[in-house]
Amino acid sequence: MDKKSCYLCGKENLSKNEIGLTKKLLDQDAKSFYCLDCLAEYLEVDADFLLEKIREFKEQGCAYF
Amino acid sequence: MIYADNAATTQISDLAYEAMIPFLRYEYGNASSQYMFGSKAKRAIERARLQTADAIGANPAEIFFTSGGSETNSWVLGGVTDLYSDGPIHIITSSIEHSSVLNTCYELEGKGVDLTYLPVSNDGVISAEDIKAAIRPNTKLVSIMLANNEIGTIQPIAEIGAYLRGQGILLHTDAIQAVGHIPVDVEELNVDFLSASAHKFNGAKGTGFLYKRSGTILPNMVFGGSQEQGLRAGTENTAGIVALGVAIEEGASVLKNEQIRINELTRRTIEGLRLSIPGISVNGEHAIRLPNILNITIPKVSGESLLHLLDLKGICISTSSACNAGKDEPSHVLLALGLSEEQAKSSIRISYGRYNTEREVEQIVEAIVDAYRKIVECQ
Repeated sequence: MDKKSCYLCGKENLSKNEIGLTKKLLDQDAKSFYCLDCLAEYLEVDADFLLEKIREFKEQGCAYF
Repeated sequence: MIYADNAATTQISDLAYEAMIPFLRYEYGNASSQYMFGSKAKRAIERARLQTADAIGANPAEIFFTSGGSETNSWVLGGVTDLYSDGPIHIITSSIEHSSVLNTCYELEGKGVDLTYLPVSNDGVISAEDIKAAIRPNTKLVSIMLANNEIGTIQPIAEIGAYLRGQGILLHTDAIQAVGHIPVDVEELNVDFLSASAHKFNGAKGTGFLYKRSGTILPNMVFGGSQEQGLRAGTENTAGIVALGVAIEEGASVLKNEQIRINELTRRTIEGLRLSIPGISVNGEHAIRLPNILNITIPKVSGESLLHLLDLKGICISTSSACNAGKDEPSHVLLALGLSEEQAKSSIRISYGRYNTEREVEQIVEAIVDAYRKIVECQ
């Protein structure tokens, strides 16, 4: 898999979970990706909420995570 | 939290909750027992049967309590098939039925039953003429939902029933989304069987009922004791049944005002969204629909993304698609309306209930518009 970096802060080597979250929450064909903190800021939610969502998606067997 | 997924389930009403509690804690007698402690439970169940019958224009002896809608739907479809085990029968249903009907039908097809799955119009309505045209000499059952669970369209059951009456073809309607939300009268509908589920009308989960017209034969669902006229044996869920009776009676008493109030919430939602999001379409818009279910397609965005972004804001809605390991399957109902896969996946369902308010509608509209903008900005 290509290495992705954060569209906003430039953080490199985004994790599978960070890439998955961008796809799941914004667009499955996303071209730009966000690190956890930038995505939380963009969506105006606490990063812990996003971690909780990652856990939920994993439990559901979502292949993005 | 704002809960706007009342087609999935509803909050139990205070009255129903309070009514069921004594039967969980103190009045735990078995309704089949001969002593007074058992008789109290029996009387409570019979009262609920009367409340249920009154709410849908039936006689109490025509009401059979079950565990819910899926069981009831399966019972009718499987039971009628068993009645005619001497030869292959034909059943007519529609392509937009709930999975509890469709999956039972697929199972019956595997056992040699002929099935016809009728299409619907672009607005999600079945044509009574199509049903008439689909009838064959061996047609024994027509099973059509009263109101669709995804888009809320109301089907012409009364018209279908009037046509079928006296022809030796039984009519079943899955009224799970309709009971408690619109007036339902089994005589007006001309049905032989009707399924309903308590948790869709502010009762408790795990309880539902079958209406079976007097004189209509249906084989047992469960063998055992004499409960439910011997057709569905097993110790009754007294607490759930009591809550069902209270909920359906309470629902009937506020139905008229609630229909008007909830219709207005739905109207405001559509109006608010259309002001800010271009290209929105309401699925089933030109059909007669339940007041509480609104299914909209929002171009360019994934319904699943919207659902999750709203979830992060504490708002519960649903999509018509089911995500499976990162691949979301489009809704069979929306595809049946002629929507493309992409359109179906860009659809969400908002379903209001008794506890939703105008303020919540404003918050939902605001949250959807905000989520839409965030998703589109990233494309």
